[in-house]
Amino acid sequence: MTGRQKKQIFGAIQTALILIAMFVMLVPIVWIFLAAFKSHVDVYQLKLFFTPTLENFAVVFDDPYRLGEKLLNSTIVAFVTIVFAIPIATLAAYSFSRFTMKGETMMLVTILATQFVPAVVIILPFFVMFRDVGLLDTRLGLILVNLAIVMPFAIWMIKGFIDGIPMDTEEAAMVDGSSRLQVIRNIVLPMAAPGLLTSAIFCFIIAWNEFLFALILTNKNAVTLPIGLALFKGEEGDLWNLLSAAGIIIMAPMFVLALMIRKYFVQGMTMGAVR
Amino acid sequence: MAEIKLSNLTKRWGDFVGVDNQSLHINDREFLVLLGPSGCGKTTTMRMIAGLEDPTSGEIWIGDRMVNDDLPKDRDVAMVFQNYGLYPHMTIFDNIAYPLRVRGTPKADIKPRVEKAAEQVELTEFLHRKPKALSGGQRQRVALARAIVRTPKVFLMDEPLSNLDAKLRVTMRAELKHLSRALQITTVYVTHDQIEAMTLADRVAVMKNGIIQQLGTPDEIYNDPANLFVAGFIGSPAMNLINGSISGGMFVTTGGTRLVPVKALDRAKAVLGVRADDMDVHEEGQGDIDVKIYAFENTGESTLLTVQWGAQRVIARGDRHLRKDQDDVVGISLNQDHLYLFDPETENRIRM
Amino acid sequence: MRDNTLKYLLVLPAVIVVFATAIWPLIEAARLSFTVGRLNRPGSLERYLGWENYVWAILEEPAFWNSVWVTTIYTLLTVGLTTVFALGLAMLLAPGGRLRSAAQTLLILPFAMSPALIGVSFRFMFNPEFGLFDAFFGVMIPPLADVSWLADPKLAFAVVVMADVWGWIPFLTLVLIGGLASVPRDTVEAAQVDGASGWRVFKDVTLPQLAPVLAVVVILKSIFSLKTFDQVFMLTNGGPGTATQTLSHYIYFNGMKYGQIGYSASVAWLMVIPMIFLTYAYAKFVFRKADQ
Repeated sequence: MTGRQKKQIFGAIQTALILIAMFVMLVPIVWIFLAAFKSHVDVYQLKLFFTPTLENFAVVFDDPYRLGEKLLNSTIVAFVTIVFAIPIATLAAYSFSRFTMKGETMMLVTILATQFVPAVVIILPFFVMFRDVGLLDTRLGLILVNLAIVMPFAIWMIKGFIDGIPMDTEEAAMVDGSSRLQVIRNIVLPMAAPGLLTSAIFCFIIAWNEFLFALILTNKNAVTLPIGLALFKGEEGDLWNLLSAAGIIIMAPMFVLALMIRKYFVQGMTMGAVR
Repeated sequence: MAEIKLSNLTKRWGDFVGVDNQSLHINDREFLVLLGPSGCGKTTTMRMIAGLEDPTSGEIWIGDRMVNDDLPKDRDVAMVFQNYGLYPHMTIFDNIAYPLRVRGTPKADIKPRVEKAAEQVELTEFLHRKPKALSGGQRQRVALARAIVRTPKVFLMDEPLSNLDAKLRVTMRAELKHLSRALQITTVYVTHDQIEAMTLADRVAVMKNGIIQQLGTPDEIYNDPANLFVAGFIGSPAMNLINGSISGGMFVTTGGTRLVPVKALDRAKAVLGVRADDMDVHEEGQGDIDVKIYAFENTGESTLLTVQWGAQRVIARGDRHLRKDQDDVVGISLNQDHLYLFDPETENRIRM
Repeated sequence: MRDNTLKYLLVLPAVIVVFATAIWPLIEAARLSFTVGRLNRPGSLERYLGWENYVWAILEEPAFWNSVWVTTIYTLLTVGLTTVFALGLAMLLAPGGRLRSAAQTLLILPFAMSPALIGVSFRFMFNPEFGLFDAFFGVMIPPLADVSWLADPKLAFAVVVMADVWGWIPFLTLVLIGGLASVPRDTVEAAQVDGASGWRVFKDVTLPQLAPVLAVVVILKSIFSLKTFDQVFMLTNGGPGTATQTLSHYIYFNGMKYGQIGYSASVAWLMVIPMIFLTYAYAKFVFRKADQ
């Protein structure tokens, strides 16, 4: 066999492997997409060809499922969470990036570490407290605990973006006559804006997909979409066509957002350990 | 317009000493260059003048005001940064206008002043662009325009030419010199490039390890170096430093060759400094000493002969028409009016 | 305002939030773990019990050790499988080109999926009557043709592991592609010119330079594996029996279903201990990177 033939065969094998890997990655997602458009009869058979219907989407928004309420809850909770988290994280990230402080490393490690604390540990005391103060099954309660998982990501991610802004520019602004706060407002925020948006989207996805807190803290009024999935367990078993439709409503917006920030996903998840 | 006084200025980070108890008086309208290798404390000194770094101890005076506790914005200085520090989200116009705006200059004044500054650095046609759309040289000009748009007490320039390619650097250097003569504002200029220092400076402060080694006019630091470091740092090729001793009014190399008469007392160890230009190349047997050529280089405008001198190698400059080859033997003579003696222990100059 | 004051003011809100949402619950959970802590008994959340919850978990509760065992095996399997597959996929996809960058883009999708939804989707895929994967395995491996995956302890465990590996491969692959991109090309080319085979280049040049990223990946994945809850809850709810009951699930079950807050808090704290080591190891890498 010539070297060229070898190369061609090797290339073909690689292509085949990539296609197989993509197939395995996509099949469960595609299957849900298909099921969401299948009628309730078709879904219980292994069918690739069927007459698509939008009926499932109508059903999940209707009584008794009322997925719209969950959609609203998820949106409000995730959105308000980032509205609080991003500004607070930005100020802190700026300070961590630009100054040296007493105990800075300790603070950063602690913030990092809180992300690794199992959510079940955090939620037990919150459950007890919320029960006492009446925050169970409220969006506000959910927002508060969501801050716990979102803040460390936000701080570390935004710090990464601010680290990338050259110091020169800020110093130029200071010599040009700006105070530190003017520097932050006039120079850092505009320059970090794409990074802030990226971090906000990242945190939105995290909050949107959050499951355990919502499972424990909500039961009726503040139920979010991932918990809403449990609704579609009928007496006769899972209602797969409805589950799939709900699944799409959960996934699709996140796919769009994730694709928007795909370049920074890795950086965000690893908190700067990998760039 | 103002003079700058640094007195007993020290900057330490933990155990590391950046600037070590230095005092320096920069005259009004003077162009002073801080020159030295990286890590010598030159940039730190400038940043302390700008207020971007707090001194550990010592005082900084600009004009008749002690500015130690002033924020950068209150020191009335303008600075050009190594990477220019342009605001990428603003147009060139807004970049240049920023120091005026943030200081509350009346709107009506801003436009003419920005335009005048832009004109001085030939940027008029780019005012509506963003920095990204400009070349390195043009960005450099924006940084300059931003500095000259108001009349600060002091200009600070931190290696402003180091990011430009060699050709552009020469052009910008001349522009900078022209501009500084025209503006007549006290300027502190940091560089590691001795040509920039020599060409731009009224006076040069050569720094090493946080200490000013020599302060003088370009002429003085080139022709009258105070110590081994300055002698070795200034000039290209660097000054040849030959180890040996002085005995009976003669400099004797470590190899035992009685090289040249020097006007100094006997001592067991001495270093003789001689520039490549202060050596003449002759045919074999016609100089003070015969040496073998280690490498022969033709630079076009002259020739450089690296010769083996006992255990050391020495560089001599020859005529541009000279043609020799490796391993040829030539005679070398030293110009006795331009020899420098140093004490290898203290590294200080031994005055003849 | 001087920077010296300002810098602390800037971090203050974040420190308060992190303290209130993460540090306080940890401390409070520690306190609860020393109490009787029954949700249905008034006052028991304040009744001091000493180390009894811990002693009970360690000495008297096979279910606790079961979940420790499940979590350990689960972590080892998922970390190992995900890393190996991801490394292979990263090597395949790293060179770039149209097909490969399209594949890289698609990789983001599974990771944007809620883990709970991954659980649901795998339950769907392994449904014995109309699950696609079930059908596939049935054809490929005949003995598995008519099994009820989630009813069999071993197979249910396998499905939970598969769901996890499936969900995490994309992320780890993306991280490793980034790591591979940071391996200087000229070192690889130098080895090729020096006459090393493809495998030798990988083993002698690429892998050692990839080691720090690989370490980060393994630590991070270990942390997330140890915490696993969402998929398990949606996929098997710990069952059949307790075959797939991870620690997180065990804590949730005891705390929320049985109302034993004190006891589950003590187990939760036992779970925090390995996390401290992993976090310490992880922090080392983060700061090593930052120092460069």
